[in-house]
Amino acid sequence: MAATEDSTAGKLEQLRRLREQALHEGSEKAVERQRARGKLLARERLEKLLDEGSFVELDRYVRHRTADFGMLENRPYGDAVVTGYGAIFGRKVFVFSQDFTVFGGSLSEVFADKICKVMDLALKYGCPVIGINDSGGARIQEGVVSLAGYAEIFWRNVQASGVIPQISLIMGPCAGGAVYSPAMTDFVFMVEETSYMFITGPDVVKTVTGEEVSFEALGGAATHAAKSGVAQFICPSEEACLEDARYLVSFLPQNNAEPPPFSEPNDAVGLEDPSLDSLVPDNPNRPYDIKDVICRVVDEGDFLEVHERFAENIVCGFARLGGHSVGIVGNQPRVLAGVLDIDSSVKAARFVRTCDAFNVPLVTFVDVPGFLPGTDQEWRGIIRHGAKLLYAYSEATVPKLAVITRKAYGGAYDVMSSKHIRADFNFAWPTAEVAVMGPEGAVNIVFRDELAEAADPETRRAELIEDYRERFANPYSAAERGYVDDVIEPRRTRPVLIDALETALPKRERRPPRKHGNIPL
Amino acid sequence: MGVFSKVLVANRGEIAVRIFRTLRELGIGAVAVYSEADRDALHVQKADEAYLIGPGPAAESYLVSARIVEAATLAGAEAIHPGYGFLAENARFARSVLEAGLVWIGPPPEAIELMGSKTEARTRMQAAGVPIIPGTTDPVGSAEEVVSLGNELGYPLLIKAAAGGGGKGMKVVRGPEEVASAFESAEREGQSYFANPAVYVERYLEDPRHVEVQVLADGQGNVIHLGERDCTIQRRHQKLVEETPSPAVDGLLRERIGAIAVDAARAVGYRSAGTIEGLLSPEGDYYFMEMNTRIQVEHTVTEEVTGLDLVREQVLVAAGEPLSLSQADVRFQGHAIECRINAEDVAAGFLPSPGVISAYREPGGPGVRVDSGVACGSEIPPLYDPMIAKLIVRGSDREHARQRMLRALHEFEIGGVKSLLGFHRALLSHPCFVAGETCNGLVESDELVRRAAELEPPAAPREPAVAGTARPRETTVEVDGRRFEVRVLVPEPPHAGLARRRRERARSGPSGAGLDAVVSPMQGTVLAVRVGNGDAVASGDVLCIVEAMKMENEVRAHRDGVVSGLAVSPGEAVTTGQVICEVGSGGDDTPG
Repeated sequence: MAATEDSTAGKLEQLRRLREQALHEGSEKAVERQRARGKLLARERLEKLLDEGSFVELDRYVRHRTADFGMLENRPYGDAVVTGYGAIFGRKVFVFSQDFTVFGGSLSEVFADKICKVMDLALKYGCPVIGINDSGGARIQEGVVSLAGYAEIFWRNVQASGVIPQISLIMGPCAGGAVYSPAMTDFVFMVEETSYMFITGPDVVKTVTGEEVSFEALGGAATHAAKSGVAQFICPSEEACLEDARYLVSFLPQNNAEPPPFSEPNDAVGLEDPSLDSLVPDNPNRPYDIKDVICRVVDEGDFLEVHERFAENIVCGFARLGGHSVGIVGNQPRVLAGVLDIDSSVKAARFVRTCDAFNVPLVTFVDVPGFLPGTDQEWRGIIRHGAKLLYAYSEATVPKLAVITRKAYGGAYDVMSSKHIRADFNFAWPTAEVAVMGPEGAVNIVFRDELAEAADPETRRAELIEDYRERFANPYSAAERGYVDDVIEPRRTRPVLIDALETALPKRERRPPRKHGNIPL
Repeated sequence: MGVFSKVLVANRGEIAVRIFRTLRELGIGAVAVYSEADRDALHVQKADEAYLIGPGPAAESYLVSARIVEAATLAGAEAIHPGYGFLAENARFARSVLEAGLVWIGPPPEAIELMGSKTEARTRMQAAGVPIIPGTTDPVGSAEEVVSLGNELGYPLLIKAAAGGGGKGMKVVRGPEEVASAFESAEREGQSYFANPAVYVERYLEDPRHVEVQVLADGQGNVIHLGERDCTIQRRHQKLVEETPSPAVDGLLRERIGAIAVDAARAVGYRSAGTIEGLLSPEGDYYFMEMNTRIQVEHTVTEEVTGLDLVREQVLVAAGEPLSLSQADVRFQGHAIECRINAEDVAAGFLPSPGVISAYREPGGPGVRVDSGVACGSEIPPLYDPMIAKLIVRGSDREHARQRMLRALHEFEIGGVKSLLGFHRALLSHPCFVAGETCNGLVESDELVRRAAELEPPAAPREPAVAGTARPRETTVEVDGRRFEVRVLVPEPPHAGLARRRRERARSGPSGAGLDAVVSPMQGTVLAVRVGNGDAVASGDVLCIVEAMKMENEVRAHRDGVVSGLAVSPGEAVTTGQVICEVGSGGDDTPG
């Protein structure tokens, strides 16, 4: 029997045809260009991001309705974005993937509608949402409708913020107003050499300021990873980017009402690492790598660093302790002596708030000589930026643990997850120095008069410094007051932290009712 | 108060720890020396005080006699014990110790010197009536001369280059017809490997046992022997297993070779502990080979069967006291075996396997002794001898000792590095060893390597799983009241593979380091510059050190390449973002 349009078989046939058509709306030429740039197609990206065969597409027959500029002649199915849901390690996530091979991935009204739909669903069902950005910008033919579409997305980003994890993968251009959606999500990934983000492109920059700058230098992955801090992660290839996004999701809960997933550790909970006992150099001025400490404490030594190349004087990232997902913050003595400055304060503040929002306990490794002095920092507002980190730690109600490995000086000591701002359990290594400032500085101030009158000020100063070091450059004056809960052998850091973490995990803290706090932005 | 107040031990590892133990028993302060690579070594922790004597390479630390003497002077040590290896048989070092007014816990330098020269030792021993392998003491001039020697000494013969070693320049001749070509090739190899064509000829012993005799001598003219040790099981002249008594030596033979050893020691005016190494033919003929003028690695088995502390005797003799016993007082009890537990990869041809020991538990129980210089977390540095420990057992007889050794090997836990634990288990359970044979060729055989791999204990838990999707986990289960230790394969969490791949990516170097220039991350002063223009550097290598806020900050290479345009020097002030040098990708811009 021949399949006519009216028969059931014919209807099935039509469905299959339409579906096939919807899969191949990008012109052959556009697909070729995409591949020539080393870029995957929108659906290929989703297949690699999600568990095999788990992707379910929504709205594949959605088409634009714009009549201007002869647009009705070209109404591709699905428009320029692929949306739907799927699973990462069996956990549901909602996704959208902009398709550069259709209208250059430009944003139309229905394009925005499709994205808004998956965002609404993600929020309704409490699932993370992951967006893949590869778009030339607004669809100019649609005019102001396109701008409205962007704003609808921005508004939803904010509604979802702190409720479900939002992750943005930049895998092509993302320019103009479009940057603000990724900017408001929790994590931004960029792919080296094929992605860029900026408000205004090199041409406009040249017209307005006369600066000549390349796409890559202005808004490439390396720039945003190291200079601006816009991108938390950069990856050498799209495959690596999609893998890293999966890995990141493994640390996060589905939403703010759930705990992060537990994963049975391979390393024994009681595993001690004797090499930690000798990791801090004898000379207080010698650096060491705080990441060496982190990797010797966490499960399997696996540490997913966030903002690896931005404000490297503070280290932030995810790891697991005894199978529990934790957010790690550590001052990095190897860079700028681990000092707190504007960039590192803002970086860590953002990370601390992200962890707090998603019930990820915080583990802080403290070795901080203080805040960075200088006109540059003061004039650019280290006061209000440093306050962000203090605010973030004070506000966080997740379990907070801290280990003071060496210096904890001055106000920076208070900021770095001190007991006074309600950290749960704080430990110090015997090498810790909890004090108002370093011995040299303290002696110069406290004994100013005595030194001025001394017959041999240098010898006297050396004596006083030695005396101060003995009395205050240690963890015991803080431990005497209970400011640290215990002084531990470094090798025991892992078992001690895991035990403290499991003790603190049931903590539920209520904050006074309010619209929201007023973090000094 | 002991015979000395302080003694410096010019050595590292297990032997240093071993000597400290005796010093402590004698109430003597123990002084260690260490290289930069040994800062965290166990022997440093076990000493009362320790002195840094230079960088990691032995040639710049443990072999620099001036540094060691200086450390001894600084510490106020009265004597130096050299241990074994390093400077232990260096007569010049012994002399410089004596010249510094210190006591040398070892034989007189003249004896070291004499025994250090193979030909001279041979001549002297022959004169003293000590049997040496029949052969020439002068170089042989022609093939004809070799043939006539063959008629005199009997075949097989060994033709060996005077300066030869390691099998090079050595030829076995089984009859006169083989002489001409063997002579010629030994001469040729001697010339090409050692620039010395002179060759000697001696009787070749088929499948001999390597049997050595321990002697002790004091300054009062007393010389005694403490029986033999059988060290036949070797790999490329490296001893692996030693035992006493030798399965091939009985009381009569022991008396005979003991007397030979005492004669040999007397002939050179020996003092302290020493060892006469010799070959025992299957017919029971014993020939002197050489004398080791130091305490030996395997001295422990002798201690186990005699109940003596050889290091104690050495120290007391050096202090001028007589030996604590006479020959008539020496008693042997039971059978002792020592296995050298080296960090070596049997499957890779016994290649040293340096690394960090991530798990470590020594065996115990009756009759077990472990002399080691490591603890959990210790590093076996690639710079030195890869010995982890010596495992020594004593049993009532050989079979008892063998079973006990297998038990102790089973208890020994070493993680993080490859070790010979599996190898020894394979060897000691081999019928050839059980029968007390020479086991010639067994050590190198594929059969033993395979068996060793099977018996190798499972890898340490800290090692990240390499591939696959399951992780082994050791657990104890009880089934019907019976206890089993089982290895369960637990599926790894789904994200583990991603973590692994990320790690691999990171290891292959940071990507996107598009720019050549390395800039100062901060304002400060350059303290040191570690590279020069044209140096090849790897990603992560330290280029220079910038001091800022009283902290030293290492500026590292951001990628592999070649340094050029180095723009800073020590003492110079740098600002944030100032170019320090460029690390070019090299290769690309060098044509051809």
